[in-house]
Amino acid sequence: MLNYNSPINDKKEYSDLIMSEIEPIIKINLRGKKRDLLTKIGKSLSIIPPTEANTSSGNDNLNIIWLSPDEWMVYSNNKFNSENDNYKLEDGLFNEISKINYGSVTNVTDQWVMINLKGDKVFELFSTSCPFNFNKFKNTKGSVVQTVMNHIDVIIHHKNINDINLFVRRSFSNHLWSWMNDSARFL
Amino acid sequence: MPENLRVKASNFIDETTKISFKFNGKTYYGFKGDTLASALISNNIHLVGRSFKYHRPRGIMTAGSEEPNAIVQLGSDKALTEPNVRATEVEIYEGLEATSQNCWPSVNFDISGINNILSPFLPAGFYYKTFMWPASFWEKYEYFIRKSAGLGKSPTEPDPDIYDHKYIHCDVLIIGAGISGIIAAKIAAKNNLKTLLLEEKNELGGLTIYQDSDFFKIQNKKSSDWLKNEINEIKKLSNLEIKTRTSVAAFHSYNYLLARENLTDHLNKEEKKNKVRQRLLKIRAKNVIIATGSIERPLVFNNNDRPGIMLSSAVKKYADYYGVVCGKKTVFFTNNDSAYESAISLNKKGLSVEAIIDIREKSDSELVKEVEKIGIQIYWSHTVVDARGYKRLKEIIIMPLSKDGMSVIEKKINLKCDCLAIAGGWTPAVHLFTQSGGKLKFREEDQVFLPNVSQSKQISIGSCNGDFKLNEIIKNLIINVKNFLEIKNTEYDNLKIECPSDNVKKNIWLLPSNKVIGKTKPFVDFQNDATAKDIKLALREGFRSIEHVKRYTTTGMGTDQGKLGNMHALGIVADTAGVKMGELGTTTFRPPYTPLTFGTIVGRNVGEFFDIFRKTPMHEWHEKNNAKFENVGQWKRAWYYPINNESMDEAVQRESKAARESAGILDASTLGKIDIQGTDVLEFLNRVYTNAWSKLGIGKCRYGLMLNEDGMVYDDGVTTRLDENHYIMTTTTGGAANVMGKLEDFLQTEWPELDVFLTSITDHFATVSVCGPNSRKILNKIIPDLDLSDKNFPHMSFKDAHIDKIKCRVMRISFTGEQSYEINIQANYGKSVWEKCMEAGKEFNITPYGTEAMHLLRAEKGFIIAGQDTDGTMTPIDLQMDWIVSKKKYDFIGKRSLYRSDTIREDRKQLVGLLTDDPNEVLEEGAQIVAETNKKPVEMLGHVTSSYFSPNLNKSIALAVVISGKKLKGQKMFVPMKNKTISVTIADSVFLDKENKRLNA
Repeated sequence: MLNYNSPINDKKEYSDLIMSEIEPIIKINLRGKKRDLLTKIGKSLSIIPPTEANTSSGNDNLNIIWLSPDEWMVYSNNKFNSENDNYKLEDGLFNEISKINYGSVTNVTDQWVMINLKGDKVFELFSTSCPFNFNKFKNTKGSVVQTVMNHIDVIIHHKNINDINLFVRRSFSNHLWSWMNDSARFL
Repeated sequence: MPENLRVKASNFIDETTKISFKFNGKTYYGFKGDTLASALISNNIHLVGRSFKYHRPRGIMTAGSEEPNAIVQLGSDKALTEPNVRATEVEIYEGLEATSQNCWPSVNFDISGINNILSPFLPAGFYYKTFMWPASFWEKYEYFIRKSAGLGKSPTEPDPDIYDHKYIHCDVLIIGAGISGIIAAKIAAKNNLKTLLLEEKNELGGLTIYQDSDFFKIQNKKSSDWLKNEINEIKKLSNLEIKTRTSVAAFHSYNYLLARENLTDHLNKEEKKNKVRQRLLKIRAKNVIIATGSIERPLVFNNNDRPGIMLSSAVKKYADYYGVVCGKKTVFFTNNDSAYESAISLNKKGLSVEAIIDIREKSDSELVKEVEKIGIQIYWSHTVVDARGYKRLKEIIIMPLSKDGMSVIEKKINLKCDCLAIAGGWTPAVHLFTQSGGKLKFREEDQVFLPNVSQSKQISIGSCNGDFKLNEIIKNLIINVKNFLEIKNTEYDNLKIECPSDNVKKNIWLLPSNKVIGKTKPFVDFQNDATAKDIKLALREGFRSIEHVKRYTTTGMGTDQGKLGNMHALGIVADTAGVKMGELGTTTFRPPYTPLTFGTIVGRNVGEFFDIFRKTPMHEWHEKNNAKFENVGQWKRAWYYPINNESMDEAVQRESKAARESAGILDASTLGKIDIQGTDVLEFLNRVYTNAWSKLGIGKCRYGLMLNEDGMVYDDGVTTRLDENHYIMTTTTGGAANVMGKLEDFLQTEWPELDVFLTSITDHFATVSVCGPNSRKILNKIIPDLDLSDKNFPHMSFKDAHIDKIKCRVMRISFTGEQSYEINIQANYGKSVWEKCMEAGKEFNITPYGTEAMHLLRAEKGFIIAGQDTDGTMTPIDLQMDWIVSKKKYDFIGKRSLYRSDTIREDRKQLVGLLTDDPNEVLEEGAQIVAETNKKPVEMLGHVTSSYFSPNLNKSIALAVVISGKKLKGQKMFVPMKNKTISVTIADSVFLDKENKRLNA
């Protein structure tokens, strides 16, 4: 049996801040420009993808976050137990979208590591190394931004107030985790 | 026992908390709230340092960041000592240690004081005229010049303190919390604007907070009392953030500012442990209001640098704010009314004011009348012509001025004093405004530069905007802030303000003397020892631009950036050269406004955070197995795996041999991978690569070369066709992000009609590359149900597979020239697959090899590495890769450039192989290649790009680029090194297995 090794596999608690890696989470990248693409996605996932920049939509199982006018990322709310669940979603979408030339469907489950951050000090932590203006963002549930933290590309999804899912490329994740922990101790 | 010069208790100093500190090894006492300067003055210590060039005794001159003289060394710890710190900015804490700088053996007796006697030989620019002969002695002179240069001493060990950064976004940023800043902050915050107020001192209120004068009233209260109340109110406003001990260092474009927040410098050792010392605030503000006030000007006369000569506003601040008297016999010397306010204040405290020397003929303002009422003697139309007292002022000599103010007349008068408080007017602090790109205008009436046209959304208010009277300051700031922030009404709209009437000012930049200028020392730049004499010398020597005068005389080039003296320099140049000051302009104000520690700039990017690192999924395994790593961009890649104390060379030789003789395994996860889907992908590939793609079948792989539009090789890699409209492109490790960005850019801007979508999957897949004659056998053990025969799975093709039910893709591609398989599997299974391969390969002595062995193996086959054998100036033809440039394709990126006159030249540098005459001699990468060593100058024909000792060929091999290399096969060349010249022969770039038989072995 192959062993599964996520890069961080850790949880840390600070005053008013909890950070933890949440893996394995299915993540699928969707791209397309055709008008019917959104309908196709909606039918497959029972969620209408967001069309407004830096917003998201979702249900109990899945979230769809807007990344660009022709790009979204779907990710699951819950960890999956078997790779079959991962393949099932990917294959389903691939057949409905990519195979019939409505756009592209790419499995990015291990491309990104998801880190969940909860607490009143989340945005204070971000302010140590992220130049984005969170003033409006932090009061808007469901908002999304692609930005940098300590020069590392990240996607930040404000799932609920002070409850953030942050996505970082796997190869950068250890460094970012160390950085965030280092910054958190001074909050 | 040092003398105690405290007056009655101040509201701003906590006299219940006594603090001991050391200065030059002696222990003194001050109180909580004191700066080092106020504490020293309270102990009657004025002599604090020696000047830069002449080593003249210098005393504390100001009470703020404009201080030029009181620059001290803090601490003696090798890691923590800090040079060039202003005593006026250091808040004392228990255990503080400070020493004077630029003196030996002590500030009281400094051997280099002899420079003062030699000063006639050391004018401005003497560096350019001395130390010239003999030329061979320069390095000897330089040794001594370097020893004497600079002021303080740098720490010699790493800084253990913690620094941090923070981003802040606000609607309104207000710089300066004097009365202007406080009012602006309240207006902004009360109108629901997210407001940030920054103040460099530890207390809000500027100089108004301790004004305490019946001459300055707001709403029938003393201005200081009114302001205290406002400060208490603004502290309660929820959308106003106030930061004290925070100095704005830089004002960049688009309202991006940097400020340094001092968090623990005022705390003792225990209190500051493990806390962030300083924080760099990176502020983006929608609107900026500059309320930085103005800096008092000194007056320029002979020997105006004696310890005890201070700015009048500083003398007032020490008395009113710190409760410290600067001298037992104080004389004021002024050209405007502000000295009178200071004199009245001192008198109120029962301090002796001996006289006021005023260069004006008369003034009838209320302040002057009050001084006359008190009975202080005023010498109208007089000037100071000399100040005496080497280590402390003892007396001044004054003389009447002529009617035109150009000379002195009649008799000298000696006045005994130990403190001369000088007031030469005010210079608006426009530094931050000009840093932001703002243009200044000149106001002739009081000879000040003021903000004029700004480049961003900002305004200046208060005295930095040229308002100096209290009623004008408040009236104008309210109008300006309301307009700026589009606010209709404020609670300040009908404030009642009382202040003295406008005062007459008279400005003489260089005050006349009874001696010729050559026999005087009127200092303009105190920190760099530049005098008015030096400025006139610069003009005589032909320098006209103020920038040239600055550099020739070093005026304004000290750590204070000439805050006190720049205007005087400008004025003297203007008067001497007969030009208008407004036309001369100012020198360029550059950040930082006040010095920043390197720690503040760096923040937490030290140690493990100095640079970002990226890890592959197998990194842990590499570490455990003693891999040495090299940085490839931000990636940590296994470089080689030494065993049994092998050197790098030994390890690489072993790894390379093993890969060819049996099996090698390489972590290739760092290579860029781009998922490409869409109906137009083939067309897209045809456009981005030089070779043809239309006939690439499903399941096949093809190597491609990418050019820039200038025809130069940019990147390369293998692209695999997974399905009808589904492909995977690989790139070099270092080129991954750039290629992705470039291709996306083309799709969005040049080819939006193409149905092509890119998704980066570099991190999604781990890539395990197994190569060597036994690679197939190893794969067979891991994926037993995959038919690995050449017929089913030929070279340059791919197969979908499963390893323990986990999907993977296996590409049969080779960068070593050996039979080779690359397993691509989801990254979180990468380490496990690697371990499985190692287990399966044990019987075949599978050997992990790193990037160094990989480089060697590909070089044996003559395969290029983009960035190693190419440098952005090589075309495919230069690389002798004509075969990869399609003649049939209509177009591809860079095609046109391949036909430019420069790119079709025969004598371009071309890629060749090099064999050394001595097969054991390994060339150095970068070494030059020449045809003749005797010809001078030697003509460089090329250089070595890659060089190794090949264990598989048992000789040294190298790749190089040589002019007209294609035609020179078999030709002898030379590689001149420092101690020898190496003979080489130009050869084919493929050294091993030209027929590629090993791919199917």
